[in-house]
Amino acid sequence: MVSAVEGRKWTLDYPELGTSPVPVEPTVSGDYFERERRRVFRCSWLNVAASSELPGPGDYVVRDLEVLGTSVLLVRGRDGRVRGFHNVCKHRGNTLAKSCGGKANGFVCGFHGWAFDTKGNLVHVPDEDQFHDLNKSDFPLTPIETEEWNGLVFASIEPTESLSEALGEWGQQFENYPFDEMRPVGRYATSVRVNWKVFMVAFLECYHVPRLHRRTVPDAATGEANPLCHLLSVRLQGRHRSCSVYGNPNHAPSPAEGLAFRYGPTVIQGEKAKSARPTGVNPENNAHWAFDMNGIFPNLILHIGNGFYYKLVFWPLAVDRTRWDVALYMSPAANAGERISQEFSKILTRDLYREDLSTVESVQAGLASGALSHFPLSDQEVLVRHTFKVIDDAVRAG
Amino acid sequence: MPELVLPNAFKELEPFVAKWARSREVERNRQRRSSTMEQLQAFYDAILPRMDEIVAYLNRFPLDEMPEDAERLLHMGLSLMEVAPAIELLGEPDESGVFDAERFRIVEPGTGQP
Repeated sequence: MVSAVEGRKWTLDYPELGTSPVPVEPTVSGDYFERERRRVFRCSWLNVAASSELPGPGDYVVRDLEVLGTSVLLVRGRDGRVRGFHNVCKHRGNTLAKSCGGKANGFVCGFHGWAFDTKGNLVHVPDEDQFHDLNKSDFPLTPIETEEWNGLVFASIEPTESLSEALGEWGQQFENYPFDEMRPVGRYATSVRVNWKVFMVAFLECYHVPRLHRRTVPDAATGEANPLCHLLSVRLQGRHRSCSVYGNPNHAPSPAEGLAFRYGPTVIQGEKAKSARPTGVNPENNAHWAFDMNGIFPNLILHIGNGFYYKLVFWPLAVDRTRWDVALYMSPAANAGERISQEFSKILTRDLYREDLSTVESVQAGLASGALSHFPLSDQEVLVRHTFKVIDDAVRAG
Repeated sequence: MPELVLPNAFKELEPFVAKWARSREVERNRQRRSSTMEQLQAFYDAILPRMDEIVAYLNRFPLDEMPEDAERLLHMGLSLMEVAPAIELLGEPDESGVFDAERFRIVEPGTGQP
């Protein structure tokens, strides 16, 4: 199976990527980071929530967009549509919604009491007669373009294309995947002293698996047929990128994993899943498939399997600091057995992610040390190369 | 109902209730990290062989309408999955040399912005 792809070099299918070492400068330069703010983040569609976080009319969440110097207030209106606004009162600029989420008929500023409805209209100004010719319709909340796609909510400050255009071929491939039916089983957050790209690409290659994850996944992703966890297939789709990851058919489950698989789907089951494979994943029908890694421009990763997906979002705070929001989504547990099964997948992943995070701060320190000016990338790191390339193209195009 | 009680069929697991019948992931994880391998192994050995019976018992109840004694048992089942990597993979309560657990914030449902 894997022997069929041995000897093949994915990178060579995409000559625009080149094969030379990649410069360190974009990971350490403050000037480059300022250009990324304007040319990558300001005009891109950014995943800011899951639709299930705003299930009904009046449900709202506030999400900090530090890289753009604002916070977005997302609220679902009575018409069912999710709208986004700068979370800023149009009177004197105070923060409008103070809590990070909830249910509301509207929003009242805590400073002087200006009130806005869920469509952003200014509906009440206390002591309005004291203003000079104030026309309330001149002061709606400042909108941020917001669109929903298949259970995911995206926002953009200055979009240059529609969300569906931005998601392109990748979006078409996954438009029927049941993102909207799945809910977070576990969610984690942290701030890390690392450039956002360095952090992100740690989750876009499997070259590190045999070494870094030798304790948490000693044989699930490697085995006699594929000891070095080579990728099964690679798909570069414009600014987005995807690959299929190997699952060892001879993996010996631990006792807890055996229980988990008996009670529900796990993140390790791969093609042994009891449910039919959902559309979008494993498009090449690889027999020993575990899941697909997807990098969505600019800062979203979706690791998508049968019965689960991980959503990893990388929010730059500075050139060398990143806030991470990561969650495992599965179908809501129907009973206690499924709940316990999900706990297995969640805890194993949490422990494994702490292995991933053990390297990124020291890598950043190493890149900042001046010890290397470029880093070489293996063919197995083709998605890493593509990530740096498409971001650099956007930075230079602006 | 007294605090340490489990459904009748699972009485012999009651010595583990105080430490492991915890509703929140962050509590179960802290309990794991502050336990010795002997303590983790004792809990693992006691509950693992009973899991099929536990799940058969718990599956009779809707998840959101579980009696208190059954809910304690569910939380202990979740704790088994919390301690399993320590016993089955790591050989230590928490993996040494990885990212600080206290910096890796567990965002539980309903606790706000990640």
